Amino acid sequence: MASVRSNKNIELMTYSEVSDVSGYVGNFKVQIKQKPRYVDISKCTGCGTCQEKCPIKADNEFDAGLGKRKAIYTPFPQAVPNVPVIDTTHCTFFLKSKCRACEKFCEAGAINYEQKEEIVEIEVGNIVVTTGFDSFEPSVIKQFGYGVYDNVVTGIQFERMSNASGPTDGKIVLKDGTAPKSVAILHCIGSRDENYHKYCSRVCCMYSLKFAHLLKEKIHGVTVYQLYIDMRCAGSGYEEFYERLQEEGVNFIRGKAGEITNLAESPEEQGKLMVIVEDTLIRRKLRLPVDMVVLSCALEPRADSERVARVFSLSRKADGFFLEKHPKLDPIATMTDGVFIAGCCQSPKDIPDTVAQASAAAARVLSMISKGSVEIESATAVVDEEHCAGCKVCIDLCSYKAITFDEEKKVSHINEALCKGCGTCVAACPSSAILGKHFTAEQIMSEIEGVLA
Amino acid sequence: MSFEPKIVGILCNWCSYAGADLAGTSRKKYAPNMRVVRVMCSGRVDPTFVLKAFQKGADGVLVCG
Repeated sequence: MASVRSNKNIELMTYSEVSDVSGYVGNFKVQIKQKPRYVDISKCTGCGTCQEKCPIKADNEFDAGLGKRKAIYTPFPQAVPNVPVIDTTHCTFFLKSKCRACEKFCEAGAINYEQKEEIVEIEVGNIVVTTGFDSFEPSVIKQFGYGVYDNVVTGIQFERMSNASGPTDGKIVLKDGTAPKSVAILHCIGSRDENYHKYCSRVCCMYSLKFAHLLKEKIHGVTVYQLYIDMRCAGSGYEEFYERLQEEGVNFIRGKAGEITNLAESPEEQGKLMVIVEDTLIRRKLRLPVDMVVLSCALEPRADSERVARVFSLSRKADGFFLEKHPKLDPIATMTDGVFIAGCCQSPKDIPDTVAQASAAAARVLSMISKGSVEIESATAVVDEEHCAGCKVCIDLCSYKAITFDEEKKVSHINEALCKGCGTCVAACPSSAILGKHFTAEQIMSEIEGVLA
Repeated sequence: MSFEPKIVGILCNWCSYAGADLAGTSRKKYAPNMRVVRVMCSGRVDPTFVLKAFQKGADGVLVCG
């Protein structure tokens, strides 16, 4: 990200949101809403004094609620740009008009409480949408007790714990600060489950294996259970990693946990979380006593994907992810020319696949730029200016805003780059002055005669 | 002999025609009495197309889009 920001050919706009897109391939006009961060990006040196002095603490979203941050904060240490933002829902100045500690201690004078939202308009030729995914919220599955039992954590929380700059400095710990002696990792939480998401989230098997590996590396003698439906380790080196984990002594149990409970049935179970699961390979119900449970949650479409789809004229699949032009032959382009998709906004995928798809999207954009022209559909509509009476009926009917009125000639004009060839105007024109190329009235009439012959 | 109606289906390229195509690739069957005419949008359908179909002996016309 730092090298993206320092590249002079790339303008990086953080804390911004695309609010509207108009135009067509080669000529998009994009409106971008830049949210106020209340810190002047040109003055801030990123020294971090404001974050030290800020008296207000709030849950750190990046640490999935495990750690705290201040009301003025950068989301994580490597954030680009290294400029903090004020969270107005927690900052006392915005809530009660007092404090101003950050302003007082900022030597650069970068704090500006008066900053307002700005709308910027830019012109671009192509758009790549890479809006990613949301993690499934497991508390809706009551039987797993997420949010009820302290030591049931999500994969993201485990990941933050294992990160050296995370809330526990890289130590895997229970709520009481001690290291777990046994951990169960539950696959397919919210995926491959017809109550939530039917699809496979694709990355969970491999990151669950990574978690098991990290546990074995960080905690001596830890017992790790993997509760899986099927191990899906398709990818370069993935199956080998699975075999290595088996050699490391991880217990693989084929079965989906039915329940997690703290009700002990025997003295040995006291103080443990009991994972109840049927091992479907030996057809036996097991009660596994563990200290910690990690839920490998599904990847799901982002909560705002419906709005984003509308802004960029994208379609969505039944599962809510953005629809590609063709599932096999064109998984990068979309139905809107000049708009490409890459990464988990299209479907759940791992990092190598995302890199491949994003590189392909960049290559597609570059090939459009280097060619300098675009190919458009041949099946468009054209106005016969001799017959057009200038009634303007077609103009309001066109869903693609492709028709304009030529005031000089008093006839309608169709922009062929915008026309999708739907033919609505052709059928509606009272003077039959619009010709739908490849779908003329004569052609369709002959076809009807043909199918009935 | 049972009545086998001739139905002309005027289908939108993006939804119903794509659906008929998908039925084919998914090896699903649909009644062969329906004869498909593809248009780029059901908005292209002119009432004269329907009249033409009836005139040429169709028992029904299905406009999908």
